[in-house]
Amino acid sequence: MAMGSSRALLILSNFKFKPTLPFASSSLKPFPPFIRNNFRTRNFSAKTSSSLPPPDLPRLAETARISLAPNEVEEFAPKIRRVVGWFGQLQAVDLDNVEPAIRADTEGDNLREDVPETFENKEALMASVPSYKEPYIKVPKVLNKE
Amino acid sequence: MLSTIQPPRYLSRFPLRRRTKCRSLHILSSAEPATKTSLTDQSQILSIRDLLLSRQLSAVELTHSYLDRLKQTEPHIKCFLHVSDPDKVLKQAQEIDDKIKRNEEVGPLAGIPVAIKDNICTADMPSTGGSHILEGYRPPFDATAVKRLKDLGAIVVGKTNLDEFGMGSTTEASAFKVTANPWDLSRVPGGSSGGSAASVSARQCVVSLGSDTGGSVRQPASFCGVVGLKPTYGRVSRFGLMAYASSLDVIGCFGSSVADTGILLHSISGYDSLDATSSKREVPDFTSQFTSASSLQSRPLEGLRVGLIRETVDAGVDSGVKSAIQGAAAHLEQLGCILKEVSLPSFSLGLPAYYILASSESSSNLSRYDGVRYGNQASSDELNALYEESRAKGFGSEVKMRILMGTYALSAGYYDAYYKRAQQVRTIIRKSFKAALDENDILISPAAPSAAYKIGEKKNDPLAMYAGDIMTVNVNLAGLPALVLPCGFVEGGDVGLPVGLQMIGAAFDEEKLLKVGHIFEQTLEGYNFVPPLISNAAFT
Repeated sequence: MAMGSSRALLILSNFKFKPTLPFASSSLKPFPPFIRNNFRTRNFSAKTSSSLPPPDLPRLAETARISLAPNEVEEFAPKIRRVVGWFGQLQAVDLDNVEPAIRADTEGDNLREDVPETFENKEALMASVPSYKEPYIKVPKVLNKE
Repeated sequence: MLSTIQPPRYLSRFPLRRRTKCRSLHILSSAEPATKTSLTDQSQILSIRDLLLSRQLSAVELTHSYLDRLKQTEPHIKCFLHVSDPDKVLKQAQEIDDKIKRNEEVGPLAGIPVAIKDNICTADMPSTGGSHILEGYRPPFDATAVKRLKDLGAIVVGKTNLDEFGMGSTTEASAFKVTANPWDLSRVPGGSSGGSAASVSARQCVVSLGSDTGGSVRQPASFCGVVGLKPTYGRVSRFGLMAYASSLDVIGCFGSSVADTGILLHSISGYDSLDATSSKREVPDFTSQFTSASSLQSRPLEGLRVGLIRETVDAGVDSGVKSAIQGAAAHLEQLGCILKEVSLPSFSLGLPAYYILASSESSSNLSRYDGVRYGNQASSDELNALYEESRAKGFGSEVKMRILMGTYALSAGYYDAYYKRAQQVRTIIRKSFKAALDENDILISPAAPSAAYKIGEKKNDPLAMYAGDIMTVNVNLAGLPALVLPCGFVEGGDVGLPVGLQMIGAAFDEEKLLKVGHIFEQTLEGYNFVPPLISNAAFT
């Protein structure tokens, strides 16, 4: 399948995807309508735009505890910016008074009694620990920062 | 006609019978059922059970024939990350034979070779999730679904390849190998359950388990020409499934027929105290409703209301796929269905909402891989550096990017703009499916906007790959069950590439999907969904 035709699925031209969105990338051009819909779109306030700065990759990597090589930063940054820009299209959908759904909620929770249970195969569980010195899981020094 | 391409009918739908090398298969040939349309002919599981219990075939012979085919085809297709020790597998088969000899009761899946996606935990067998960070990891427990299969007598032949932790649509994002599509080795099998789909397609096992977060069972089923079933969220316990996006993840089933897929679902369904989201609803016997084709009336689905989702046969969908789906819709009409087009205006909102939710939840779920309690650990003299290095070395690019995107979407101040909005979109999508399913018994659509594409074709363009999930992600957001079954072919490869029809049902109504799917399958004539590679003389 041609790349162009697949991209057509990504853009909601009826949702008035605006090139002035916070992260809109110039590589995302409007495409012919994929769907006809009656969704109301809302106007962007300047506040929305300014309150959502684009991803700061080194900071995100630190938060997520993943060290990135310089070539990875170079490779990931434009891709992540594009995808996050594409996420931004939901800002244009009128969702006032719509309750968020934590999950599909096909059925309520079936929580068990809050009582401890013993896992029978404890040795096998501990055998997975990469660095273990009975009875401790070993990690490098934690208190080495002032 | 459902399609312009029709592969030659080189093989019966029961591939075992064509093989002549092994003694067991001679026996199978002589065991051809008297009526071509008996129920056992529509299900390899039932057929094998028949042959085992009537002593026309031993479990050891059966296992040999599958292991032989696996050995011959695996170097070309590369479905497995780990193949079970043949001696152990044959020992299990021998135990079943001994029981049968002693006239002892054997389970309904006795001797059935099954494959398990490698993000589903198997005790004392590697379970890597397709990730370097879990290379060499052997869980101390079985996932509940695996335990149930083993308890019923099934034999696990191996662990199948996948996109790392289920994040991908091609199986190219595995840390270990790229699986090929049995229909054309230069193409992807789909993903993320590509290994499980391809192994059933290549008849390396009878049925397999996969997982489906946004289409990871259904899209590879479509690409490989097999039946794939995504159950209702809560139908099957997720205990032992490596969590990717917990609000969407389900364990799903692959088979070469609707009957086998239904039998597999029945085997793994039901409440499990180890998964708080598993449902306490009664599990109906999905298999009792399968009727043989010979006893079908001329219009067996008279009055069934079928809604073709308009947005799924619109711009951006491959024209060959579109005509295959329209052909399938016409076939349903001939069976008596009342076909209508339905519109789901929120349909295309599902894609960005899905990717926001999935990457956000993955950033949280994958924080468990820190190199401390299990998996591979990088050496470091500082704790944070140990986490950062273990994760940097252990995760592949796609996983890192999704974690980073999820971290962004969940950052303080952005939550309302992304995660919450995506959850609100989920509410809208749920409601629109509910309304459509109030007016229709089932909804239909393609399983993917195209047939299998070339390996490498979308590797460097995440948005192009994400777009391929448009047909399936909404179903996960709504938590509904969906069945994908092969319905035709498009041009490509030597004999054409299979196309899958997706049938979507109301929550917990897998029964209806399987019934309709089974009748559809039994009445679809002129197609053979066994890939040429398997019928090729080189492998028989």
